[in-house]
Amino acid sequence: MEGIDATDRNIIISNATPPSILTIILDTNPIAWSALSPTLPLTKALSSLLVFINAHLAINHANQVCVIASHTDRSTWLYPTPKPTKGHRHSSTNKSNGVSKPTAEEDANKYRPFLAIEQQVLSNLRALIDDTDPDTLEEGESTQIAGALTIALTYINQQTLQASPSGPDSNYIRVAEQPPPSTSTTAGQSQTSSLVSRILVLSVSSDLSSQYISVMNAIFASQRLQIPIDVLKLAGDTVFLQQASDATGGIYLAPETEALKGGAGLLQYLMMGYLPDVTSRRWLVMPGDQEVDFRAACFCHRDVVDLGFVCSVCLSSTFLRSQGLTR
Amino acid sequence: MSAALLEYLEAQQGIVFKKLYRQPSTVLAVLRRMLPHLAKSIVMAMLYMPEPFLESDLYTWIRTDCTAERDEALGTLKQLHILQQVQEPAIPRAYHLAPTFSRSLRQALTGGGNHRSFGVPSSTKDPRRMTLTALDDWARKKWEAILHYMVVSTNTRMDDQAIHLSTGTKMLLDAGGFVQSQGQRTMITKAGFSFLLQEANTQIWTLLIVYLEMGSTLDMEPVEVLSFLFTLGSLELGQDYSTEFLTPTQEKMLEDLSDFGIIYCRPDDKTRFYPTRLATTLTSDAGALLSSQLSGTSSTGPAQAQKGYIILETNHRLYAYTNSQLQINIIALFTNLNSRFPNLISGKITKGSINRAIQLGITSDQIISYITTHAHPQMLKNTPPLPPTVVDQIRLWQLEENRMKVTNGFLLENYENHKEYLDDVNYAETLGLLLWKSDEKRKYFVADINLMKSYLERKANAKRPKA
Repeated sequence: MEGIDATDRNIIISNATPPSILTIILDTNPIAWSALSPTLPLTKALSSLLVFINAHLAINHANQVCVIASHTDRSTWLYPTPKPTKGHRHSSTNKSNGVSKPTAEEDANKYRPFLAIEQQVLSNLRALIDDTDPDTLEEGESTQIAGALTIALTYINQQTLQASPSGPDSNYIRVAEQPPPSTSTTAGQSQTSSLVSRILVLSVSSDLSSQYISVMNAIFASQRLQIPIDVLKLAGDTVFLQQASDATGGIYLAPETEALKGGAGLLQYLMMGYLPDVTSRRWLVMPGDQEVDFRAACFCHRDVVDLGFVCSVCLSSTFLRSQGLTR
Repeated sequence: MSAALLEYLEAQQGIVFKKLYRQPSTVLAVLRRMLPHLAKSIVMAMLYMPEPFLESDLYTWIRTDCTAERDEALGTLKQLHILQQVQEPAIPRAYHLAPTFSRSLRQALTGGGNHRSFGVPSSTKDPRRMTLTALDDWARKKWEAILHYMVVSTNTRMDDQAIHLSTGTKMLLDAGGFVQSQGQRTMITKAGFSFLLQEANTQIWTLLIVYLEMGSTLDMEPVEVLSFLFTLGSLELGQDYSTEFLTPTQEKMLEDLSDFGIIYCRPDDKTRFYPTRLATTLTSDAGALLSSQLSGTSSTGPAQAQKGYIILETNHRLYAYTNSQLQINIIALFTNLNSRFPNLISGKITKGSINRAIQLGITSDQIISYITTHAHPQMLKNTPPLPPTVVDQIRLWQLEENRMKVTNGFLLENYENHKEYLDDVNYAETLGLLLWKSDEKRKYFVADINLMKSYLERKANAKRPKA
């Protein structure tokens, strides 16, 4: 009677690698990019990013990607293009065959899905930049990262519901039944979920403290959904994003500007550090165990504070008045 | 992963890989389909690395408690001639990707080159464009015909009107050992049964490998055949492609592949072909077939296929929401069916029905995995999806069939001295050769005699000088 064992009943479930969905939030703050342009122009960074997206899609047939631009005054979709594409994916790509693709010859040398993504991302980004009014940029180096994070989370949630084998309703139960988030995020999730997800933030701006509360809310939501937030900081200094990746078990890297020169370095960072999805991160030593800046922003002035008062009821923090006085 | 394909590729020479990897679509398919997940990460990390990857660095990158996965990944990469060791300098040991492989993969990711490996769309517009549903119907009809042909051949009476298979396909099934011709009648073999119960994607690859092997005896270059198959996997569903740039071998394949329902060619228009869903999912793996986007590869229609249809209860009753004759026939292989309604059949899994299936050469694991893959969404809400009692019972019924285990080996007996007997038995035990012993009778049974022989001889030699 050997071989009868209650433990091997669910052999089939864990065998296949679940497809993974990659949500990229691209910080498109024009001021920050123009400051960065001597070492890493936006075009170079974008071409590296597209290769990275293709590599992600190449890994698994069912892998998905979405790209969100976090601009100075709003966050918007770069891929998938919201209105014309939604629901009619096939018809729209067919339509573009005749219009925008140069010749059939060139088309045959590129994998069709790659081509579609590249065209959509580039045209949407161009539209976004053309839309931007130079006068509104005077206000500062901010970027709508909170909005972008929220869009990313809703998109991931939607895709996860669609991908779950037993239909949307059972998924609600799964989320509700999930144990409170712990540090060992990976093991439990890949067992139950049919889709693993992660968010990658390409950050260039520095000043985010005005969105402290909404960013933190987004972080807690993704912590609960067990979605790691990876951050690749190209420029600037972002306290909260570092906390985001730390809280959600993501990767935070801040490469030296010299290492990124020309874009080739960026690509290697992306391919080696950020490409492995949640499934393969179980096997790899992930980079970035540096000190995390855990400072919070005060709720009244949105300034990052070292020392402050915390309300014992609502846990809001306020700056220390005496500090201001002594200075 | 497709085991059949991996096995086939592993048996190939290095030069074959070099030819294969020249085509970006092949490289993309091999990466997606053949590699373990960890290996994909390794390949991607090394793709744009300017220097060779030091082995020590690689080992630090992968967690130390995952050596089994690491060795599996590196082993597969080496077997498929993707990873090569740097010759100069040999120490410290370092790896780089095979140049052809990495060049083609980069080309696949960035585009460029002039390889046309992702299919050339037709330049002219098709006046009667095929719709997706029409393509799905075509693929399903063709593929079900093949499966049906095999299922029906189990029954004594042949139902010839229902099945239209080309002689080529019949020959192929015969060559693959799935069916066996005995005079007028065709009998399904054990291999055929396991084929039937597999998942659609695995079935296609199994059949295509047979096709590949048969093709090489018919002057078809295996590399070209494989490359074309991988190209098919990267085409877009619903798009018509031009046959203009195909090699003669590949043009010959078009006809055969449309017999399987993998592509669609209009009889009066030879300049274009449509890949069906069977083709476009060739390079996706099992997990992808279950996902919401890709549906119709299994035998039911695209709308139904993504949902399973079988419900199995703890009292061994089985209900299947289907009216497809093929599915009913397959379920009837291991179930006693007792009633049929317009959209539902019901039956019971009994000891008799399972034993009958096992006699035909079907294993309990195949039955269980078939029911699990086609389980109704309501069943999938449970973990595990199938009632454990039934699953265990099916396994137990199979074990009842083979209570005896046969092992080849050698019996050693007629020991005069108990001490000598003990000495030899202990030696056999430490080597792990001992299968059975009886201390009273001074007999024991070992799996391999050669090691024992040399030991006994050494002992005898050691004794001789003393005497």
